[in-house]
Amino acid sequence: MIVPHVAVTALGNDRPGIVAAVTGVLVRHGGNLEDTAMTNLGGHFAMMLVVEVPDGESAEALERSLVDEVGAEMGLTVAVRPIVDDPGAGPEGAPWAVSLYGADRPGIVHAVAQKLADYGANIVDLSTRVIGRGPEHAYVLLMELSLPANADADQLGDELSALAAELGVEIHFRPDDAEIL
Amino acid sequence: MLAVPCAPIGEVDDVALSLARDLLDTMRGAGHSVGVAAPQIGVSLRAFCVDVTGHRKARSCHGEVVLFDPVIVESSAPEIGREGCMSVPDLTGDVARATSLHVRGLGMDGELHDYDVDAFEARAFQHEIDHLEGLLFLDRVIADDRVFRRRMYR
Repeated sequence: MIVPHVAVTALGNDRPGIVAAVTGVLVRHGGNLEDTAMTNLGGHFAMMLVVEVPDGESAEALERSLVDEVGAEMGLTVAVRPIVDDPGAGPEGAPWAVSLYGADRPGIVHAVAQKLADYGANIVDLSTRVIGRGPEHAYVLLMELSLPANADADQLGDELSALAAELGVEIHFRPDDAEIL
Repeated sequence: MLAVPCAPIGEVDDVALSLARDLLDTMRGAGHSVGVAAPQIGVSLRAFCVDVTGHRKARSCHGEVVLFDPVIVESSAPEIGREGCMSVPDLTGDVARATSLHVRGLGMDGELHDYDVDAFEARAFQHEIDHLEGLLFLDRVIADDRVFRRRMYR
C-alpha cells in the first residue's frame, strides 16, 4: 500500500516563527514530517518537506490552509504538490564528494554538474555559499554524489582538475565512504 | 538503553566474562562489524569489543580486544571522518575523533591493560566508548547538515 505523501515548499524573508507556524498547520492536518531540508539562503528562509498525510487529505486543501493561515502573516510563498510515485532506491553507485572554492563567476555549478552528468553521477546533496561581499567575494560548493560502478573515477578526477584550472577555482574530488561501526 | 550511561563492571566475574563472549559472538556473527558495545546488545554495562583486523584504514591493530570500564587517558587532536552505526540504520554523519589515544581498562583476565591506538582503531574505540556514555554518533556530528542517508549509496 502506498501511503499518501505531499511535497511542501515555502520561501520567504527570514524571521522567527516560520518553522513553528508552517509545521503547526501541517500537524493540524494530521501530517507527519519525513525528510526535510530547511535553511537560510541569503536572508530568505527556504523549506522543502516531504510529509505523510492522512488518506483523503488533498494537496490543494493543505496548500489553501497554509496560504490562508500563515502565508500572508509570515510573508511566505507556499506550494504543496502530491507525490504519487514511489521513488524507490536511488541509482546504485559509490559515494564520492566534491568540494570547490574560489572566486565567484557565473556557470561554476553548471560546469561541474554537467561534467558529473556526463559520467552518469547522481548528485544526492548540494549546497553553495557566497562568502563575503563585493567584487572580490568567494564561492564555496559542497556536493555528495553517487558514482556508477562502471564510471572511471580517475579520469573524472583528471577532468575536474582541468575544469578547475579553466574556472580558476580549487576542486577536490574524493571517495566519501562511511565506516559502519 | 542506547541513550543512557552504562554502569561500571568493577570486577571481571562470570557475568562479565559471559557478556564478553556475547559481545565477541555478536561482532563475529555480524561479519562486517568492527566493534560492539554492551548497550547495543541490551546490557547497560561498561564493556565493548573491537577488532579492526584487515581494515584498509587501520594502522594500529590489536586484533580482538575486549575492555571493561575503559578510560581514555590521553587523546590527540581530532580529525573529521564519516561514520555510521549498526544501531542507527540508514544514516551516516561527519564526526570529529582524536586520531590517536591511550586507553586503559580491565581485560578478560581481570587485569588492567593499556592500549595505544591510532587511525581507524582509535575511531572505533571512541565510537564504542561513546556507546557506554549513552552517546550515538548522531550526538557528535559536527553540524546538523552533516548527516546523510546511507541507503542512497546501496
